[in-house]
Amino acid sequence: MYYSQNNVTLERRNLLILIGLTLFVILIARLYQLQIVQYNRFAGIAEANRIRVISREAPRGIIFDRNGNIIADNKSQYNVNLIPFEAGQNENVYSILSEILKIPEREIRQRVRKNWRGQFLPARVAGDIDFDTLTELEERRLELPGVLFSLEPIRSFPSGANLSQVLGYLREVGKEELRVIKDYGYRPGDLIGWKGVEHEYESVLRGKQGYSFVQVNVFGQEVGEVRNKRSVEPKFGNDLYLTIDLGLQQYAEELLNGKKGVIVAMDALNGEILSLISKPDYSPNLFSGIVRSDVWNRLRDDPDKPLYNRVTQGTYSPGSTFKMVAALASLEENILDPKTRFRCRGSYKLGRRDFKCWKLGGHGRMNLYDAIVNSCNVYFYSLIRKMDIDIWAEYARKFRFGELTNIDMYGESLGLVPDKAFMDEKYGVGGWTEGNKLNLVIGQGDLLVTPIQMVRFAGTLATNGKLSVPHLGLKYFDRDNDRFHYFAQSTGDSIDDISASSWEFIRKAMYDVVNSRTGTGRAAKVRGLDVYGKTGTAQNPHGDSHSWFIGFAKKNEQVIAMAVLVEHGGSGGGEASVIASKMFRYYQKELVPQQFTSRGANRN
Amino acid sequence: MKKTNWITDSVANTNLLMFITVFLLCISGLIALYSASLHVEAPFFKKVIGKQMLWMIIGLLAILIVFFVQRKLLFDGAFILYWIGIALIIAPYFVGNSVAGANRWIVLGPFHFQPSEFMKIIVIIGIARYLSKNDLVISDFKSLIIPLLLALLPMAIVLKQPDLGTSMIYIILIFPMLIWAGARFYHLFIIAAPVISILTAFNFYSFFIWVLCLIVILYFSKEKIWLAIVLFILNLSLGFVTPVLWNRLEPYQQNRILTLFNVEADPQGSSYQVIQSQIAVGSGGLFGKGIGNGTQTHLKFLPEQHTDFIFSVVGEEYGFIGVVSVLLLFLILTVILISVAFRLRDRFSSLVVIGVTSVLFFHAVINVAMTIGLMPVTGLPLPFLSYGGSFIITCFLMIGLVFNLSVDRHR
Repeated sequence: MYYSQNNVTLERRNLLILIGLTLFVILIARLYQLQIVQYNRFAGIAEANRIRVISREAPRGIIFDRNGNIIADNKSQYNVNLIPFEAGQNENVYSILSEILKIPEREIRQRVRKNWRGQFLPARVAGDIDFDTLTELEERRLELPGVLFSLEPIRSFPSGANLSQVLGYLREVGKEELRVIKDYGYRPGDLIGWKGVEHEYESVLRGKQGYSFVQVNVFGQEVGEVRNKRSVEPKFGNDLYLTIDLGLQQYAEELLNGKKGVIVAMDALNGEILSLISKPDYSPNLFSGIVRSDVWNRLRDDPDKPLYNRVTQGTYSPGSTFKMVAALASLEENILDPKTRFRCRGSYKLGRRDFKCWKLGGHGRMNLYDAIVNSCNVYFYSLIRKMDIDIWAEYARKFRFGELTNIDMYGESLGLVPDKAFMDEKYGVGGWTEGNKLNLVIGQGDLLVTPIQMVRFAGTLATNGKLSVPHLGLKYFDRDNDRFHYFAQSTGDSIDDISASSWEFIRKAMYDVVNSRTGTGRAAKVRGLDVYGKTGTAQNPHGDSHSWFIGFAKKNEQVIAMAVLVEHGGSGGGEASVIASKMFRYYQKELVPQQFTSRGANRN
Repeated sequence: MKKTNWITDSVANTNLLMFITVFLLCISGLIALYSASLHVEAPFFKKVIGKQMLWMIIGLLAILIVFFVQRKLLFDGAFILYWIGIALIIAPYFVGNSVAGANRWIVLGPFHFQPSEFMKIIVIIGIARYLSKNDLVISDFKSLIIPLLLALLPMAIVLKQPDLGTSMIYIILIFPMLIWAGARFYHLFIIAAPVISILTAFNFYSFFIWVLCLIVILYFSKEKIWLAIVLFILNLSLGFVTPVLWNRLEPYQQNRILTLFNVEADPQGSSYQVIQSQIAVGSGGLFGKGIGNGTQTHLKFLPEQHTDFIFSVVGEEYGFIGVVSVLLLFLILTVILISVAFRLRDRFSSLVVIGVTSVLFFHAVINVAMTIGLMPVTGLPLPFLSYGGSFIITCFLMIGLVFNLSVDRHR
């Protein structure tokens, strides 16, 4: 026989069949485990694989002023996003994109890396593209695999006013914050209000994201709708109404243009802020979407600090505007008879030092009333010599100086009211002298106040001691229940232990500051309106004195309190008083006829 | 001699059953390919399913050609064929046409073909030829050395291409053939032991258990005591040396070896494919999602779905019922082939059939094990189901060879 015999045994044949059978049984067992035992798990994963949840940003609530004028609205912005994996498949995507967007290719790659969320997830490469660019991208869509658009609501500011400090701005929620607030539905990349009312009323303004479900393939390309999964419409945020009067605000911003300083106007009866300006400020449009880093850096590094809210964060010496504190203390504690006169020769000698009055020639013989009207320092030097520093500090604290006003704004400074304990602590027992007291009484030295404290001070003087809480939030429109909700404002304290006659005395003096021929604040006089005020000229180490005016005006049962500060504006009787008079005139002309009511006007 | 008809009834029945099984496997493959190319906008014969049908027609022609090849020609020309095969698998290195960094292809005009696929048949014939030498003493260990070398040479070449899956097939097919030829199990154990020593060496417990097995087997083998001791020491030292050598390798060298086990791995990481494949199979459940409804398949989460992962498409769209049916078809085919081999009178034909059986069987088992996460991804296609010209033709050639040898015209 040519071929050798096949002499395989039956055992060996059966062995091979057995091995084969065993291996197949193992495979089938594994398949049973995957497809029968773990079916639910894998079915779930497969479902999640194919469905992408697309979040649809909800516009934030609109912000109105008290009269229903729009302050901050929403508009839509087109963003360009790029899926790195898909774009990486085609060499030319980046160069074509660079050509259309007019951004260098290198910059685009850098942005992709910066906004990287994953190979198959879109990363933003450009925001707020204009219509022409959008059209061009659309036309060349086939050359640009992996390039997508997204529509995102951003803020727009139709009014001419900046209101930058009032509004605050939006920014992407930070990683640290996210840990704390993720239970409220925030995710990385979401915008959150920061500073101002955008921050304070975040929960009111924030809408609820909507979702839609699309079927996607492994490249994240949408390939169709998902049946059985209804999309959820985004829910708009609630509209917020501020106490701000847009006209007054806009006018006040113009008055302070090119200056550094503060104007705050408040309804003294209920603490509603009618205008609040801190200059220099910035255009809110810079923050309509996500702020560009170069813009941010420029604002942050600006030596004039436009991001800084001088109204609530700035601490200043109040200068002579603070003299009313000592005056009230004197009246209430009977330290001096108000008729007692001191002769002002232009300076006051204490030991070897001369303490100057602002009027070099001296005011002559002055009683308390004259001293307020003429802002005579020498009278108050003499007064404070007879007063314990703690009594003075106690009266300052009655007006809540050195405390937060609890205005609904992020980041408020305390200010500082020095008392004996403080002075001993700072200078050592015996390390400070009567001279320090002399500085304090005219609002200099260690005393520090914020402009928001000062406007409330003016309001308190106008209302026999009512300490209303200044606030910007008036009401919001509850979309769910289709009605307005007013923010519950604490009615505020009042100063009860100062007699009506003392209040009246101070008010009369403040009236004459503005309306008498010799009053330091006569520049603030407005024909046909009862304006009360006090000027201040705060010396400071940085240059010219700061110019202060605080005061109020009464008309038709309404009281508007005002604080004006012009940094390095010279004497309070100058710039600050002039600005205050313009503000009061505007108020007289535009606001009083409208009968601005507390609780604002309803919008239809 | 008593029958004029050289096809006996039983042979005809077996062959009919074999062809029916193969036909059913091809049909299930085509259905899966149809589904996988459902959303591809292309003319029919440009789609994978159309192209696969063309390959199958070519495969049928190959069966016809092979059917008329004389057994004597195969037997006498086995070694010449072997060296031609070696030359062909080396050729891609010199023709210098590397596709995706792999030297697997020979390009002839519009055709790319993979000589390493055809080499599987050639290795089978070569080994069968050697093992059916008249003067071979199979109980002698020396007789096993040549067959080993016949498999190791192409294995080394293909491993370098790199194609771990195919090179593994060359060495695996030798074990059933040696068992069939009557080699002593002890000798097979000696061949396999060092590999196991190296693989278990990386884990103390696995190595410990392996050493215990080694001692027990060597003790009961009743071989010469000095041989047992030498083998024991050899394996033990191999186990100790391997981790030391491994640690002395530079990380890039380690990586080079590790990537060998992931030749087809995509940039998203090797586990990605397997995970998506398991999701596809698992989410199929008992009855599957139905034709064209496999989300993993159609949304392209499933990688390599026409080729190495075609089984996952079946799993997703036809469920447990579908995959078990396919596996049963493979089991039936295996049993048929083994019984054909058992019935054949001459050792050469019988060994060739067993070689073919091992190739088809291990392809199926390794491929399925890989798609359901029981083995690392090595890139072996599933016979008759996976798309691929060279591979489908090779499978058909092997069936043709079995058909040829099983109808004994020389009796």
